[in-house]
Amino acid sequence: MLGFVIQRVCQAVVVMLIISVLVFVGVYAVGNPIDVLISPDATQLIREQTIKAYGLDQPLWKQYFDFLVRLVQGDFGRSFVYNMPVIDLIFSRLPATIELTLTAVLGATVLGVPLGIYAGYRPDTVLSKMIMGLSIFGFSVPTFWIGLVLIFTFAVTLGWFPAGNRGPTASLFGIEWSFLTGEGLAYLFLPALNLSLFKFAMMVRLARAGTRETMLTDTVKFARASGESELTILYRHVLRLISIPIVTVFGLELGSTLAFAVVTETIFSWPGVGKLIIDSISTLDRPVMVAYLMLVALLFIMINLTVDIVYVFLDPRLRHRRS
Amino acid sequence: MSRILLEVEGLSTHFMTRNGVLKAVNDVSFTLHEGEIIGLVGESGSGKSVTGFSILGLVDPPGKIVAGSVRLQGRELIGMSEPDLRAVRGREISMVFQDPSTTLNPVLSIGTQMRLALEAHETLSRQAADARCIDVLNKVGIPDAARRLGYFPHQFSGGMRQRVAIAIALLNHPKLIICDEPTTALDVSIQAQILLQMKTLAQDFGTAMIWISHDLSTVSSVASQLLVMYAGRIIESGPVRDLLRVPDHPYTRGLLNSLPDHASPGQPLVQIPGQMPSLIGLGAECAFVSRCNQSDALCQTSPALRSKGARRVRCHHPVAGDWQ
Repeated sequence: MLGFVIQRVCQAVVVMLIISVLVFVGVYAVGNPIDVLISPDATQLIREQTIKAYGLDQPLWKQYFDFLVRLVQGDFGRSFVYNMPVIDLIFSRLPATIELTLTAVLGATVLGVPLGIYAGYRPDTVLSKMIMGLSIFGFSVPTFWIGLVLIFTFAVTLGWFPAGNRGPTASLFGIEWSFLTGEGLAYLFLPALNLSLFKFAMMVRLARAGTRETMLTDTVKFARASGESELTILYRHVLRLISIPIVTVFGLELGSTLAFAVVTETIFSWPGVGKLIIDSISTLDRPVMVAYLMLVALLFIMINLTVDIVYVFLDPRLRHRRS
Repeated sequence: MSRILLEVEGLSTHFMTRNGVLKAVNDVSFTLHEGEIIGLVGESGSGKSVTGFSILGLVDPPGKIVAGSVRLQGRELIGMSEPDLRAVRGREISMVFQDPSTTLNPVLSIGTQMRLALEAHETLSRQAADARCIDVLNKVGIPDAARRLGYFPHQFSGGMRQRVAIAIALLNHPKLIICDEPTTALDVSIQAQILLQMKTLAQDFGTAMIWISHDLSTVSSVASQLLVMYAGRIIESGPVRDLLRVPDHPYTRGLLNSLPDHASPGQPLVQIPGQMPSLIGLGAECAFVSRCNQSDALCQTSPALRSKGARRVRCHHPVAGDWQ
């Protein structure tokens, strides 16, 4: 197990190195940042000073090396637009996104998996057909449209929830969270619902397909022949057997939602990193883009590593193959 | 003769398929005494497994028990409520399946699976449950059982896995175990071991067994009574030795003749020509008529069950005479 983790960490370092090259080439080496950094009517002297100050007179490999050294030291530079260290900027926005994403993905899983299991267990009941109808709806309706409908219905017409922004927060471990205050929860509800609908639909489908398949196996027949109750069979046998694809999708969805909750964050003016990256692209705020891309890569690697470790706990066959 | 354990009478299980009604089990009747081992033989699709599942009330839709009665020590199981049936399953009647690699749950340790089967019927402390599991595992021939409770199915060989499945079936000391081809998926050498062990276990525990198989020679080495099934019906039954010595139904005779022991070296094995008819839309004629070399005009009507002592046959032209 420990060997496996060490091996994966080494792989992660290699992946991060490759990502850093791609990010460097994509953001720094393409185009001329000088044109963005100084006004077109600056003197030749100022121009040369700026080039020297940013190390742009160095050969490319040297520039990359310096970039890497700064990265390792946690120095992502300063944002051109906000004029503050990028790392501080991102970490001031990250909790909002993490909170939104976790609420959405966890909510979708906690609701979607039991409903999906039910729909797979009793596929012909009216309730199952309603669940499946809802999941088709979640799959096919675009997020931005649902977001607007949610705002129109629950914020504008009914006035039950605020239409946007994050609302009041409370501090835990030195980080600001909305879910700790009642009003913050109200602000969190609509964007989380909006973001979770697609994931809910996916979890329902996965759980349903897995359950339908598993219910036909001899494992279930044998458990029934031993007199085990249907609830025991669903909870102890079926849930365990279908959990591997569910954990896989959970990890993938968590990663991609953290990185790309952009649409929902924009519609609900949620001050998360998704909104930050869209703003920084439109203002060509390169240090923010770089830091964001590196962070997303790191998050994906960490989530995948966690998923792989969870697999080992879920499937004993993997446990013994590795040890 | 010991007391009657199970009486099956006129049991019919049909599958409502898109193409029509498939009569998988058709008017099956037999009686099983306590501690008796009865063999249920037939080729694939003859309805022998469905008979086993019907007794436990575990027929999956679109299958349905449409008629008949199954009485366990006088208690009617057909039409019994699901919670009552669940109390019977595993505790009074349990079942062992063909392939242990698909029956055991691959992601639960065998200790967990055994405890689930125990907890389905009684509340036990962890220590008491483990002690019961270890005891049964030892009885089915798994050494070092205490340590192996934490093992997962993939850490056992095929034969050992089937022993675990048998242990789970024995866990609540049922009166009857339905064995659905439990040795078919195993190596021949292990087949013989398990066969012998199950026979001994059945004697020790006083457990009756219904041994379902397509293999006449396997069944005849464990069972005392034999039921031969064809196209959803029992076509011949009787004490094993008697029935194998003088089979009366042309189908049973064909089965016996097609055993490899009956073939001369270098000669092709004897076959029964043709195939079993589709179980959908069976006509009024004897189901075996198209494959039978004895058939005549009489065989266009389905033969009634005739009896002679302990023997029963469903044929217009049984080989030996004296039938009523």
